[in-house]
Amino acid sequence: MTASAQPLPRILGQIKPRPRWREARLLAIVAAAILAGSVSLELARHSDETAATAGFSPAEPFHLAVYLGVLVAAHLAQVLTGRRTDQVLLPAVGLLGGISLLLMERLPQDLVVQRFFGAELGLADVQLVWLVLSISIATTLAIVVRSDRWLRLYKYTWAAAGVALLLLTFVLGTEINGQRLTLSFGPISGQPSELLKVILVVFLAGYLSENRSLLVEESTQIGPIAIPPLPYLAPMVAMWAIALGIVVVQRDLGAALLFFAVFLLLLYTATARPGYVVLGVLLFLAGAFVMYQLVSHVQTRVDIWIDPWKDPAVTGYQVIQALYAFARGGLVGSGLGGGIPTTIPAVETDFPFAALGEELGLVGIMAILGLYLVVIERGLRIGAAAGDDFRSLLATGLALVVGVQAFIIAAGNLKLIPLTGITLPFISYGGSSMLVNGIVVGLLLALSDKGVEPPPAPKPPGRLARLTRRGA
Amino acid sequence: MDGFTATIWIVRLVFLALLYLFLFGIARALLRDLSAASREPTTELGRLVVLASPAGEPAPGSTLALDAITTLGRDVNNAIVVDDQFASAQHAVLTFRGRTWYVEDLNSTNGTFVNGQPVDGVVPIGYGDEIQLGQVRFRLERPRR
Amino acid sequence: MAQRSVARSIAHVGLALTLAFGVLAAGAGYWQVVRSEELSRAPENPAVAVAAASVVRGEIIDRHGNVLATNAKYAKGGSYRVYNDRAIAPVVGYASRQHGSAGLELSFGAELTGLSDSDPIRNALRKFQADPYDPQTLTLSLSLTLQRAAIRGLGEDSGAVVMLDPRSGEVLVLASTPYYDSSAIANPDTEKDGWAAVADNPAQPLLTRPTQGRYTPGSIFKVVTAIAGLGSGSIEPTTTFPNQAAAEKNGLVVSGFRIKEHPGVAAKTLKLVGAMEVSSNIWFALAGLKTGGDNLTEYAEQLGFGASLPFDLPTAPSQVTDGKGSAPGGFKDDVELASAAFGQGKTFVTPLQMALVAATVANNGELMRPRLVTELTGKAGTRKIAPESIRRVISQADADAITAAMLQAVEGPLGRQFTTGAKVPGIPTAGKSGTAELGGSGEPHSWFIGFAPANDPQIAIAVLVERGGRGGARAAPLAGSLMKAYFDTVAPK
Repeated sequence: MTASAQPLPRILGQIKPRPRWREARLLAIVAAAILAGSVSLELARHSDETAATAGFSPAEPFHLAVYLGVLVAAHLAQVLTGRRTDQVLLPAVGLLGGISLLLMERLPQDLVVQRFFGAELGLADVQLVWLVLSISIATTLAIVVRSDRWLRLYKYTWAAAGVALLLLTFVLGTEINGQRLTLSFGPISGQPSELLKVILVVFLAGYLSENRSLLVEESTQIGPIAIPPLPYLAPMVAMWAIALGIVVVQRDLGAALLFFAVFLLLLYTATARPGYVVLGVLLFLAGAFVMYQLVSHVQTRVDIWIDPWKDPAVTGYQVIQALYAFARGGLVGSGLGGGIPTTIPAVETDFPFAALGEELGLVGIMAILGLYLVVIERGLRIGAAAGDDFRSLLATGLALVVGVQAFIIAAGNLKLIPLTGITLPFISYGGSSMLVNGIVVGLLLALSDKGVEPPPAPKPPGRLARLTRRGA
Repeated sequence: MDGFTATIWIVRLVFLALLYLFLFGIARALLRDLSAASREPTTELGRLVVLASPAGEPAPGSTLALDAITTLGRDVNNAIVVDDQFASAQHAVLTFRGRTWYVEDLNSTNGTFVNGQPVDGVVPIGYGDEIQLGQVRFRLERPRR
Repeated sequence: MAQRSVARSIAHVGLALTLAFGVLAAGAGYWQVVRSEELSRAPENPAVAVAAASVVRGEIIDRHGNVLATNAKYAKGGSYRVYNDRAIAPVVGYASRQHGSAGLELSFGAELTGLSDSDPIRNALRKFQADPYDPQTLTLSLSLTLQRAAIRGLGEDSGAVVMLDPRSGEVLVLASTPYYDSSAIANPDTEKDGWAAVADNPAQPLLTRPTQGRYTPGSIFKVVTAIAGLGSGSIEPTTTFPNQAAAEKNGLVVSGFRIKEHPGVAAKTLKLVGAMEVSSNIWFALAGLKTGGDNLTEYAEQLGFGASLPFDLPTAPSQVTDGKGSAPGGFKDDVELASAAFGQGKTFVTPLQMALVAATVANNGELMRPRLVTELTGKAGTRKIAPESIRRVISQADADAITAAMLQAVEGPLGRQFTTGAKVPGIPTAGKSGTAELGGSGEPHSWFIGFAPANDPQIAIAVLVERGGRGGARAAPLAGSLMKAYFDTVAPK
């Protein structure tokens, strides 16, 4: 490590352009891939077999040009401001976004109609807007965020804000399909549960890092089982349980599963005690079993998962169509534009993975899974190399939020676990999801910047801690 | 297979190939990370080697262990007592934050220097860097394995 | 130092997630490679409907080369299906844009539209071809001549006829009345009326009775009891029951319930052959009780009961009992077991299942898989589908014993009176008639199952005439005339 005797920069601070060759090389591949994809779509337009199927809409070059432009702008912005952030994250996310855009291009545009000042926007138009906003937010956060004090110090405030947001949704939210997930203000509507997962991670990172040594070294014994020391675990579990309870009441099972998994994994990361994870999994199974007995829509979901062909016309229809789509895809898929994804209900929000499975085949699916692993790995790497425990846990938590969510919905599409209604990050259609994932990427990039303010000095253990510690 | 069908399939396969080209571009770095992550952590944080100490306190040539927070200065309550007329009572503090060492000058009269450069505020330092308080010079060393 | 181990934990978490994604990749591989073939040819797969919209379906022809289903073009372009005889409607079904498809048009939809091929490599490479569809022509084992004769023979009654070759499982007749005009449904000009004629018709012409209709079997089920008894070794062809003579006169008391014999049976002790000839309820009730519920259900399951039959069309499962009882085999008590043994318990059978029972006895105790499609012909050539044995149910010796009993039931002096008209002149004919009492007023169902020639069977048959009266009234003579028609026209000389 080289020394710099220069004072550390504050907000924005010293602006000295630095080249980011690795990112540039990767973005070149991304651009080539998106180009190849759009050429493939254009050729598909003229192919007989596609012309015969309803539900194909050709790609608009304008959209792809704008998207590539935004990626280049994000790259240049970081170059010009000299940020030494991670160089792989943006291209990986950019490639996922590009795949999303290609998919939204080829789906019928009238799946979504949004009116904006008299102009009518279709599926790809709206998704492009969200992609552009998402990448812009990510880049802005990467450049502007130089200190984590605002996240680190106010964790209880953040927690309260999160719970308040959730309660607000429950009381004021608009009901769609029996779920109150959306808050609407005029033309703008969003799903606060998406933001809640980031707030939860911020809170957990702060709490776990502050009390880490106590959580690791001490435990409350219940018989032969060691659980984390009760007074320290209580606020965490309470916060998580409130979030979970409300989410379950709102019938958003996917978010509940996500929160639970992220909580357990962060707890393990902070304490390195696999016993806690085992305990958590057992509690989850017990809770899931109870819910299966008591809650009818959980029962339906699990029954569909076990045998969708028992009711192929109504409840099992969606999953069966998705499996047919995967089967039609085979090894290399039927090609972009060559499949019939419109046979799957809600394909643009719940089942883009199956649509891509049909058109890109097993080869394409494994590449997409690989891209998600890249995003996760970069996030974990940022966590492992971060300045201190809080940043480590925050980065890890953010990476998990993306990775575990992708796992849950992909597994649901493949009938490996029951289907839940959460989105596939960066690929599903949906503004809230795209924006929040943009925030996640932005924070990860900010955390990865090698030139940011150092974490605060470690505090010597206080009197309370010295008294409660039973021998070092 | 006719020309059009061949073309469209070539383009489709090229698209898939580019996805994998991207992944392979990252694979090498990923494997390096995995091997680095599994290495054992060390237990010591760092050491200071005393390069020059005219007054003899601390002893020149000695190696001092470092805590997460190590204060340096003329006052006897400091972790490392620097008995030098150009050193202030509370001169500087070395802190290990997360994974990096930082030195901070505590508004001393004559200032703290790292590799000859004056320190203003909190500055990260690396192993091998030289720190100077008054006439006393130290070098930050890696911890023993 | 505790801080460093965070990095270790992160590495563990990373490893766990990598494994999780590996599981996802395996899952994707399962659906996209392992199950790909099977799901792609499933008739409900929307790709089939998409193909159907743009592809000219393959033809369907019978065993003699008669074209059963073909295509016609209509003015706007595009084609629709035309069926050459209403008699084949239950087998071939229909394919129509507005009403989907049924019958073989549905179950072989992927092959007819050319989406699926028997060769997996050709299937995988299909998408790389300019014209990926290869509609197959189906050659059936069905005989149009015999099918027409069966439909004519059933006449105004509702009923079913199944004729099959016991040596190969090939189905020559699968007739169901009332039938319907499938061409009217497939033709876009007449589809509205054509559909209305069947959809709201209380006689349910769309119900394919041979495969989907479940009926009380009556005495024809005694063949199954004989199979179970001999197969399990519980009875021999020479088995007699000492209390039989008395029970024939006064009824058999089982668990306090008195089972009465039907009229026309003398009060004497009988063996298998004699019992089959006069269709003795008492003998078979005693045989059933001796065989036991477990054996009866087990042998029935070996014959295909309890599950859908493996066939080219969907079939409803036949049952010996509803299985809710706690006695062995799922019977409620001995009374139900005894009643089931002579075909009047909670037993429901499909005509196809009973034809398979007759065919198994005819084929020396070996059950062959029934099939309609024998060849698929496409651009790449013809693929023959070979006969397939499902399993051996009983030994040849047992089958011979039952054959002798069934021969007596058709040709014996007493048996002839129950199975009038079933014998084919000049050819030893074996069989069993059945009169399925339904309780209440109204005629019972008329049943007959059999095969010929008894010494070297070429054809097996099952006939059901709903509300046709006694077995000998309608079903037996119809079966006889159809078997005669077989030997006169279709059988190889």
